[in-house]
Amino acid sequence: MSDSDAALVARTLDGDLTAYAALMARYRDGFGRYAYHMLGNHEDAQEAMQDSFIRAYRALKDCREPDRFGAWLFRIVVNRCRTMRRRLLRHRRFDGDLPDEIPVADHAPAAFEWREEIARALARLRPHYREAFLLRYVEGLDYAEMARMTGAKEPALRMRVKRAGDQLRELLRDVHVG
Amino acid sequence: MSMSAERDDELQDELLRRVVDELRRPVRLDPTLDLRVLRAIREPAPARPARPWLRPAWVAAALAAGVMIAVGLQSRDRPSSSPTTVASPAATPFAESTRPVYLRLDAPASSRVSVVGDFNDWDPSATPLSPTGDRGVWTVELRLKPGRYHYTFLIDGRRWAGDPSEPRAPESDFGAPVSVLTVS
Repeated sequence: MSDSDAALVARTLDGDLTAYAALMARYRDGFGRYAYHMLGNHEDAQEAMQDSFIRAYRALKDCREPDRFGAWLFRIVVNRCRTMRRRLLRHRRFDGDLPDEIPVADHAPAAFEWREEIARALARLRPHYREAFLLRYVEGLDYAEMARMTGAKEPALRMRVKRAGDQLRELLRDVHVG
Repeated sequence: MSMSAERDDELQDELLRRVVDELRRPVRLDPTLDLRVLRAIREPAPARPARPWLRPAWVAAALAAGVMIAVGLQSRDRPSSSPTTVASPAATPFAESTRPVYLRLDAPASSRVSVVGDFNDWDPSATPLSPTGDRGVWTVELRLKPGRYHYTFLIDGRRWAGDPSEPRAPESDFGAPVSVLTVS
């Protein structure tokens, strides 16, 4: 049976880095998926996750609910993605860029194209729409959790999710592979 | 109504359901990310690792091979197919500041091997091993200042392998086998 988050946090605070390594292994890919879809490529997603893990470690003593370490860390990841996206916008056009990496390439060409079109459409969404859509439907948060995480009001989040869905439907209607 | 049921009800549109199904597919990040984080938090100076080695090509699955590293002052009398430490040559003009360190890998099914560690900023492109001509044997010579180094091998850009003849670092427990090398 694996250790609880709270136990691993406690061990980390006692100086056991292997415990923190276990926490990273637990959350790296799951939260990395969010970072990947928000930022559009593996390279930036990895940088966001790396920064998030370092920041979380250095602030770990401020994690008031160690049993909810995952939620606490995810908030850091979400904020880090926002910061990185702003930084990326200063250096290159982000919205509308086709992500340069596809997660897994072991599927048929049609599936590959479909995935590529989704990535392209997702990148065209306004960042707040993209964020809300991912948090709601991909990460499975409820609106109260999303509000705590983003600082936005629930009605605004519902609207963002709806508009994101409408725009994705519009962008993908003609390319939908049956 | 549960939150998940409510969420699913919102996704009545078949097209959006397919989009979400696709977006929920796993995304695997480079597992060396953990190593870099541990390295950063072990060393208080918050130096951000250079981005060039955060490459998508790193994200992948598995291959295996036996690994040997050779470091130090004395030979270990082993056959070439087993872990071997090769003797450093006699002192060179560089000996006052660095020592020659020979790394050796026996990985016959591999096409590409490198070593990453504290000595090359964990950059997998910095220190490739070269095939020797003997089947499956890879080597490289480094020059390292006296000190203690964490390191591991990367085979075909996908598979980590520690040094069976050197002690493991605590970080080894989370998957990537990190060895500790002391150059005296």
